[in-house]
Amino acid sequence: MAMTARQRARVSLYVQAGIFVVAIAALILATDWETIGNSVFNFGKIGPMFPGIFVTGLVNTLIYTFLGFIVGLSGGLLLALMKLSSFPLYRWIATGYIEFFRGIPALLVFIAFGYGVPLAFGVSWNITVIVMISLGMVASAYIAETLRAGLQAVPKGQLEAARSLGMPQWRAMVTIVIPQAFKIVLPPLTNEVILLTKDSSLIYVLGLTASQYELTKFGRDGISSLGAGLTPLLVAGAFYLVITIPLSFLARKFESRTARSNR
Amino acid sequence: MNDVVNNSRGGTATVHAAGVEIKDLRKSYGSNEVLKGISLNVAPGEVVCLIGPSGSGKSTLLRCVNLLEQPNQGSIHVGGFEATDPDVDIDKMRRKVGMVFQQFNLFPHLDAKRNCSIAQTKVLKRSQAEADKVSMHNLERVGLGHLSDRFPDQLSGGQQQRVAIARALSMDPELMLFDEPTSALDPETVGDVLSVMRNLAKEGMTMLVVTHEMGFAREVADRVVFMDGGIVVEEGVAEQVISAPTQARTKEFLRRVLDPTHIDIEE
Repeated sequence: MAMTARQRARVSLYVQAGIFVVAIAALILATDWETIGNSVFNFGKIGPMFPGIFVTGLVNTLIYTFLGFIVGLSGGLLLALMKLSSFPLYRWIATGYIEFFRGIPALLVFIAFGYGVPLAFGVSWNITVIVMISLGMVASAYIAETLRAGLQAVPKGQLEAARSLGMPQWRAMVTIVIPQAFKIVLPPLTNEVILLTKDSSLIYVLGLTASQYELTKFGRDGISSLGAGLTPLLVAGAFYLVITIPLSFLARKFESRTARSNR
Repeated sequence: MNDVVNNSRGGTATVHAAGVEIKDLRKSYGSNEVLKGISLNVAPGEVVCLIGPSGSGKSTLLRCVNLLEQPNQGSIHVGGFEATDPDVDIDKMRRKVGMVFQQFNLFPHLDAKRNCSIAQTKVLKRSQAEADKVSMHNLERVGLGHLSDRFPDQLSGGQQQRVAIARALSMDPELMLFDEPTSALDPETVGDVLSVMRNLAKEGMTMLVVTHEMGFAREVADRVVFMDGGIVVEEGVAEQVISAPTQARTKEFLRRVLDPTHIDIEE
């Protein structure tokens, strides 16, 4: 008995649903619920994390991310302009920088600036400065590529029109090209902020004092002090989502706005 | 250069009109020579139309005049500037030279009035109030005073091109360059742009226009220059070049342009 296309589609759907239900059931049966309850979802013991994780952890994560982003954006813009420069040396420097910092783990950059640079130059930097520089240097490599694409997406005629009106090159870039490029890159730039928020978790390697804790360090600290297993990390993770989900919502909003109008 | 221009188009106006002198201009892209020694003079207040097939170098020539393209050889004088002098202050020279592009190139993030005022405030250092006044005056001049708060994407092609003309005029240029200003327009909006240009010509503006609009060239231009293959093939009084060309290549080109449905069997 041959089936119609519609019947075949329905049978296929039932089979898929069946596989999904079996997989979930197997996962539930295989889980050691007692251990999970004690060491992952043990919300009874995490009281001492509050309000610290909020007023210190969340706030510090936001501050570190913001500072890193400011440095990353300025550095990224400079690198993007260098990469598009007609002067070869600038292009080489920018390309080298971008490839280097995109190619090594951010963790190594934190260690280098947290321990290597102070040792090598005999300086002792404030932790905020270290975070700002290391996070910013990593971010600038990624942001530079995003901005370069944005600058190149602005039609050449825009620069020509601006120059024809007597604007010097720098003025035409600042007044006409860069504002349009930023509008184009707003969605990918928002995604950079999300990545940066998560990269800020690597600060834990720097040996922070209690008032400098950000979310991840707060969670790791809770693991050793609260006896609730990994639950504190779960809480920290939830706080990251509090930051990142609105940001990706914002990115989508920018995206649809750019799609609607080129203003 | 504050000449009272009394020109053949019947208008009399006081404008700061600059002339252009181009001598033996050459320009190559790699091994491809697109301008093979062009000499052309445009007197203050004169309107000259450049015509010719695509690839003849007419747009390149126009773009050399305000140095959007760097010529390889020869000299260009615009007003009091020698454009081809390596030490020329390009930005200062360009303030005197308005440019209108085929693709309008309005700034999409600024409304019509800001499009006209941005270079006035940033380059000429006019106050915002003064710049707005000049912008409104020029938008009204092109018949778009009522649309000054519209953004480019809210305007038709013809309206955008008129804003682009107003934007160039707002810098008080002494010479206007038009690079195929109506080629990207819907047919029904071409007339508005041409009539703005006709008025500008009557006011005594020096204009160098690359165009395929033979009707406009015949009516408005003092002189028509026919280019082909990077050289000036024929030039003269507009009516004469268009109605009674002497060179074979000019005749052939005009026959194709004026009668596009004509089918040449031998091709």
